[in-house]
Amino acid sequence: MTDSAVLQPGLQQPGWQMDRFIVVTALAGFALLGGLIWLETAPFMVALFVIGTVLGMALYHGAFGFTAGWRNLVVKKRGAGMRAQLVLFGLSSLIMVPMLYSGQAGLVGAVAPVGTSLVVGSFIFGLGMQLGGGCGSGTLFTVGAGNIRMVVTLVFFIAGTVLGSIHLPWWLDQPGFDPVPLVNTFGVSGAIVVQLLGLGLLARWVNRIERKAHGNLERDELLWKGQAHGVFRTLLSGRWPFTWAILILAAGNALTLAFSGAPWSITFAFNVWGAKALEVVGVNMSQFEFWTWEYPAMALKDSVLTNVPSVMNFGLLLGAMLAAGLANRFNEASRNRPEGRQFLASVVGGLLLGYGARLGFGCNIGALFSGIASASLHAWIWFACAFAGSLLGIRLRPWFRLPN
Amino acid sequence: MERAYHPTRILVVLGIILVLIMADHLSSPTFAFNSGQGNVQTALTQRDETACAPCGAPCPSTRD
Repeated sequence: MTDSAVLQPGLQQPGWQMDRFIVVTALAGFALLGGLIWLETAPFMVALFVIGTVLGMALYHGAFGFTAGWRNLVVKKRGAGMRAQLVLFGLSSLIMVPMLYSGQAGLVGAVAPVGTSLVVGSFIFGLGMQLGGGCGSGTLFTVGAGNIRMVVTLVFFIAGTVLGSIHLPWWLDQPGFDPVPLVNTFGVSGAIVVQLLGLGLLARWVNRIERKAHGNLERDELLWKGQAHGVFRTLLSGRWPFTWAILILAAGNALTLAFSGAPWSITFAFNVWGAKALEVVGVNMSQFEFWTWEYPAMALKDSVLTNVPSVMNFGLLLGAMLAAGLANRFNEASRNRPEGRQFLASVVGGLLLGYGARLGFGCNIGALFSGIASASLHAWIWFACAFAGSLLGIRLRPWFRLPN
Repeated sequence: MERAYHPTRILVVLGIILVLIMADHLSSPTFAFNSGQGNVQTALTQRDETACAPCGAPCPSTRD
């Protein structure tokens, strides 16, 4: 959750006013790009583009993210955002682990090596989340919703991923070992049970912090109905209860796995965009080991329209733009222009996010959300290290004139 | 309410992004394939299932 993404129910005017220019522009962009993908690639890529768009709307309308959820727990001792994330991980684990290990050919989980690269990368990413103002998904959906500060973060996020890709082979040579799918140790049912137990323990820890500070729990993550308007209006203009976002995000990741063969990821696309930009200005990326590996080399050579994370990111940006237009908040986000130390925070935060994401094998979506949904040990280590990095980031925020 | 953004700028930015996507696509193997040129490898239906991470990184155990 980013600073600007925290919507405040009740602030909207009673009559529904949408930003027609933004809504029409987002729909036109959706039709144009969707048509291009349809003509030039394959129907499953169109489906993934649509899924990305819906995910963008869910992230924006649900104000669902990770950064502010973690910060709220640490600073305000409120745990609804954190619990919503834990519920999402549990639900996705229940759906996707059986899918992945059903024996169906062509499905690959988000598993990754465990070692120095993962620990350092996820810690750096967590630090960058608090300085940059968002995580992987948070950065994208707020950019789509018109947030200028997050555009700066995104540009340096992309630069950071490219730098990380150049250094990743060195980091991989540091101590570490091959991926550890929990299914190999516990079986499919056992892995799900172990993960649910782990998530349950985390929820208890979150509850204890909140109860100790406030004496009660805010159960926002259990709300089913919008607080301000009816169902239809809430669906279009937000704000969605957490439960809606949880269901859509869980379904979206499972459908991504079904259509593309791999769970949802975001930051690999940033790598490809940055590397393509450098090639345009004459840098030969194949001189770097990362870009000689089969998948990155293939993605760099071919169209972004054939790259699943890129296509889904385009959808996510347009979905968030559409949602912001429907909520009449695109304008408000555009006022958020970073200056001075806040600008510096976006630059430093973006670089840390990108570098950390590459070393940590993904962001809060590709490594954490999809990693737990794939029952991979690396996701749990990523979670712990990124949270530790986030703690440091929260302490550094006041120096950058960022409110806690 | 006063607009904090310029509609023209939004259209220009989106237009530039579309042009970049098109330029990238027109020079890609997928476009060549769609144009009837055979003997090109496209990334659309290929996946590196031997990789050890979603980004295509190899396993630490396979590195010297």
